[in-house]
Amino acid sequence: MVHTLQQQEVKFDAKPKKFVVWLFVVSSTIMFGGWTSYYIVFSASKGKGHGLVLPDAFMYSTAVLVASSVFLFLATRALRNGERGFQQLFLWITLALGVVFGVLQFQAWSSLYQSGAALINNNAAISLIYVVSGFHLLHILAGICFILNSLVGSYKDIPSDKAIYRQEITSIFWHFIDILWIYLYVFLLLNS
Amino acid sequence: MSTISLQDTHHHDNHDDHGHGHHQETFLTKYIFSQDHKMIAKQFLITGIIMAVIAMGLSILFRLQLAWPDQSFPILETFLGKWAEGGRIRPDFYLALVTIHGTIMVFFVLTAGLSGTFSNLLIPLQLGARDMASPFLNMLSYWFFFSACVIMMGSFFIQTGPASAGWTVYPPLSALPKAIDGSALGMTMWLISMVLFVASSLMGGINYVSTVLNMRTKGMDLWKMPLTIWAFFLTAILGILSFPVLVAGVVLLVFDRSFGTSFYLSDIVMGTQILPNEGGSPILWQHLFWFLGHPEVYIVIMPALGISSEIISVNSRKPIFGYHAMIYSLIGITILSFIVWGHHMFVTGMNPLLGGVFMITTLIIAVPSAVKTFNYLATLWRGNIRFTPAMLFAIGLVSFFISGGLTGIFLGNASLDINLHDTYFVVAHFHLVMGSAAIFGMLAGVYHWFPRMFGKMMNAKLGYLHFWLTFICAYLVFFPLHFLGLDGVPRRYYAFTEFEFMQKWLTVNVFVTWAAIIAALAQVAFLFNFFYSIFKGKKAPQNPWEANTLEWTAPVEHLHGNWPGEIPTVYRWPYDYSKPGAETDFIPQTVPFSQTMSSNLPHDFEGNTEAEQIQKDWEAANKPAEKAE
Repeated sequence: MVHTLQQQEVKFDAKPKKFVVWLFVVSSTIMFGGWTSYYIVFSASKGKGHGLVLPDAFMYSTAVLVASSVFLFLATRALRNGERGFQQLFLWITLALGVVFGVLQFQAWSSLYQSGAALINNNAAISLIYVVSGFHLLHILAGICFILNSLVGSYKDIPSDKAIYRQEITSIFWHFIDILWIYLYVFLLLNS
Repeated sequence: MSTISLQDTHHHDNHDDHGHGHHQETFLTKYIFSQDHKMIAKQFLITGIIMAVIAMGLSILFRLQLAWPDQSFPILETFLGKWAEGGRIRPDFYLALVTIHGTIMVFFVLTAGLSGTFSNLLIPLQLGARDMASPFLNMLSYWFFFSACVIMMGSFFIQTGPASAGWTVYPPLSALPKAIDGSALGMTMWLISMVLFVASSLMGGINYVSTVLNMRTKGMDLWKMPLTIWAFFLTAILGILSFPVLVAGVVLLVFDRSFGTSFYLSDIVMGTQILPNEGGSPILWQHLFWFLGHPEVYIVIMPALGISSEIISVNSRKPIFGYHAMIYSLIGITILSFIVWGHHMFVTGMNPLLGGVFMITTLIIAVPSAVKTFNYLATLWRGNIRFTPAMLFAIGLVSFFISGGLTGIFLGNASLDINLHDTYFVVAHFHLVMGSAAIFGMLAGVYHWFPRMFGKMMNAKLGYLHFWLTFICAYLVFFPLHFLGLDGVPRRYYAFTEFEFMQKWLTVNVFVTWAAIIAALAQVAFLFNFFYSIFKGKKAPQNPWEANTLEWTAPVEHLHGNWPGEIPTVYRWPYDYSKPGAETDFIPQTVPFSQTMSSNLPHDFEGNTEAEQIQKDWEAANKPAEKAE
């Protein structure tokens, strides 16, 4: 049975499954596109945006997220070179940075709240900041699940093509939410 | 989970002659949490049929109210309790009936029931794949759909009743839980149900696209795919690109309803109370909703068009007329459907210039639609038509698509729409072009692929009875509504008795209601035929309709992985019917050109000079008489 299982891994075709993740990325982009276009039409018709100086925590969290993407890249490279130890180390760092990002987002929300820009607001543009960053954070949560999936695979020493598949879908998703956040942050900066 | 399917793939590729003995399939994994695309297709179909029967029942209830607004039906009170006190349907329950009828029909029957059934069944079978790209995601897709159905129906069992702001749930009515009973818990359940539904649609659609692009068998290039697959593929793309926008809109609506934000709300006075919400705009909901909502009507109709392309070609025993034109018109519809949503909003105070733009894009959609219609007619023209029940329903689709499509040209006109907006003219239009046409496409598909799904044949005589009653009654129901609309009778009104100018239409409403009741009874013929034939139907032969596509080469007995042994290779397009010189009037896609030397045509070889030379040599040797001519 062990023998047949190994044979099956040779036949494992990751391409359609990876494509599924790409298509998810597309549909998720469109959901955020829906919100940002709401914002554009709203601010164009009201002649005002959120009108805030965004909290510094958003800047730090952006930096943390970019750094996490770099470590994820290193993890993928380590796996390709067959260095599972390094892969695990870098994955843990990515995961930790993801958690730090989440904490910073909460800090950003609380400083927004303290400055008087609460979620429940008669300026829908301000409410939208909470909505997009909140739903982005849900994506981070999903991304952390992807990272854990890669880590579990790595510790269980699954065959290399499957391990690479798990690492690759993690990369697609995590880099996507990284870029997505940069888009959202820049969008909110430019449309104040 | 994925290892199971991998094992299967491996198994089939390498050990053709083993059975499936060592796969321990329990009742639970085979019928409930199945990951096999054929079983999931059946789950979608049967759930879809149940939902369709429910939604049809709701429509009969509100038709009763419209026909006899002053009459009491004590039996209604027995079933509906306080919603039909004294045997008369209450106004707020009437609105709930209309809302849930629309929601179920558009989303649960004609989106999930149609795409979910036939994309799942046919994409792997017609393309020659073992299963979907991700069978696990496919299973999840069904169970999300099922949960969405349960939650939607659950709203009938709560104190305040189901959502009743219309299937488009426009705020502010839908955003204020205290506005009407139907905007309370029922609306929350509607929104939760729709989010689950969208998740289900996305999981399905993503799977379909990935499967079509990555898992076709050898020889099956994109331009050899049956039109069904093209239609499902483009429908799935439409879904992936438009459903997320609905989620975006729904999330904002949930925030407005439950957390007190003002995305869609401004300047509202309820009773004597001024609400604090300010700055939002309900028009923005309409933009987000119709950005999905318009592509949605094509999500509904395109699979039906694909299904009827296949059925009309098979049963006319002729190649589909304009295969490439059919595909390009589907692509054209797909692209155009994203830039026409504003035609639902002509009377929202839209800038007339913008209205003009949306009008032009809307009218341009008539071009690919007409291309498709004429191609159907040209395919039928001088064919050896076999009037199977499936064929009749496919022709019925063409009929509804024409008669309903023509009124679309009226409604797409920004100036005419001022008069016709929100009248029964709109109701008549979309019930013909999207409701009846799509449901006929779906029924055609059920009759045609029933042998493939269940290995049995449906009774043809009952099928004819079902078709003629449904076809005639559908016209009797929807055609008179045009005239109500032209006279300015508005949609969604509870009773026509309060308005002088509407009273003359009461008799028409009685007529329409009787036609609707007969149409509903006609569906009993279908339901009996469907469920009886699953168990007691005549056993189906391998290829009952003598069709060319791959699904008819797979064994009638279902097995996970679809084909024992190797997947068949594809050599030709799927529409070689009545090819001159061929022995039979159909040549399946799996037959290589080397076996049909007498019927090959120069363009079959797509510029392959070596094959052309072989063909020429063969013709010189075997057809001296013809060469002399």
